[in-house]
Amino acid sequence: MDGSFYALHDRCPHRGGSLCAGPLTGTTAVDDQGGVRYERAGRIVRCSWHGWEFDVTTGQALADPRTRARSYEVEQIGAELYLLSPSPRKDS
Amino acid sequence: MIDCDVHNAWKSARELRPYLDSYHRDCLDRGELPGGRDSFPHAHRPWLHPEGFTRRDAIPDDGSTPGSSYELMCEQLLDRYDLEYAILTGDEAIEVSTLANPALASAFARASNDWTVDRWLSLGDARLRASLVVAPQDPAGAAAEIRRLGDHPGFVQVLVSTGSQRPYGDPFYWPIWDAAAEVGLPLAAHLGGQGGINANPTGCGPPTFFYETHALLCETGMGHVASMICHGVFERWPQMHFVLIEAGVAWLPALLWRLDADYRALRKETPWLQRLPSEYARDHIRLTTQPLEDPPDRRHLRAMLDAIDGERTLLFATDYPHWDFDNPEMIHLPREWRARVMGENARDVYGLARRCAPEPASA
Repeated sequence: MDGSFYALHDRCPHRGGSLCAGPLTGTTAVDDQGGVRYERAGRIVRCSWHGWEFDVTTGQALADPRTRARSYEVEQIGAELYLLSPSPRKDS
Repeated sequence: MIDCDVHNAWKSARELRPYLDSYHRDCLDRGELPGGRDSFPHAHRPWLHPEGFTRRDAIPDDGSTPGSSYELMCEQLLDRYDLEYAILTGDEAIEVSTLANPALASAFARASNDWTVDRWLSLGDARLRASLVVAPQDPAGAAAEIRRLGDHPGFVQVLVSTGSQRPYGDPFYWPIWDAAAEVGLPLAAHLGGQGGINANPTGCGPPTFFYETHALLCETGMGHVASMICHGVFERWPQMHFVLIEAGVAWLPALLWRLDADYRALRKETPWLQRLPSEYARDHIRLTTQPLEDPPDRRHLRAMLDAIDGERTLLFATDYPHWDFDNPEMIHLPREWRARVMGENARDVYGLARRCAPEPASA
């Protein structure tokens, strides 16, 4: 996205479901008038089991920012992508 | 491991055609179907899951209904977790309870049971057992159906939805209890059937959001448990068990504390009872674990489950392939309970022969 690559481990921190099998989608937020607007299209992955939403760029669960899907730093060298060892950021 | 709630499904209700008489076949072919062409006739609940109510990874490659592929069920559940038995509870069949016409409801329940025998119990997979679905709004028809198929060795329980017009201790349903007792099958109620004729508002009206409603899934279960205890169902049919499926578990102790206290004061309303309500529950009522309450401090859950002798009264279930599936490899039950909750309790209730070695206590 936005010219960068992001990588998440294919295992939901909740109960171990597959994130890859879940949709890449957007989510909702409250707008200025107190209504609901759709945002972040394509930037949220939902676990294929219970539907937990994760920000693809950070691995953070939207409903509980203390919980994260394990993420990897991605380096592109030429036409190849390399996943580096797990991010030093704390997993749940 | 015995999984007490697995949702086998048809790809299309057209699969029921061979099991229907001409009149009801016409209903499928040309009649009004709220779910669209080839759908199973039933009223739909007014709370809609915004992402669909099945696991997305359980959708077969051809896009058909999750639970309709036996091969995928083997891969994702039966073989994956090396189940000793899976108790099939169907998918839409229990929704017959929502229909206004009792005879129509019973006709589709019968067809569903015949389909279950033909498509699942005849697969030759010794792990599979199934539920005999009946339409509770037709007690006489339900009793006849129980007597028709209740002796088939593949059926381990009679099954209705928790959605109903009256709670299941009511004498209106006694023909069902009687027939189930006669054939030696427990009566089970699975969450569902909350549309149509069962759209009873709660005392404060209906909830708004899907997950709000889902968090209230204990509501119908509470009503049925209190009713059958107070009406003395277990005095009348002491050999009977009731299995409550997918209605949560942690609420039960509080209800039983209240029933016991109130019974001690107002026993004269129900002089047929010989024991405390909680004693009937301990001996006759079983609850499946899924979706297991998940408190931040698991000691709180442990305390609630200890209060209902959970080691002996809980039945493990995954609810495969639904979205709120409980992963058996990550289920927060006490280690020392696993042998009973994940196997022996179901073996006792359903009379299941041992097919493999008992689960080691330290697993």
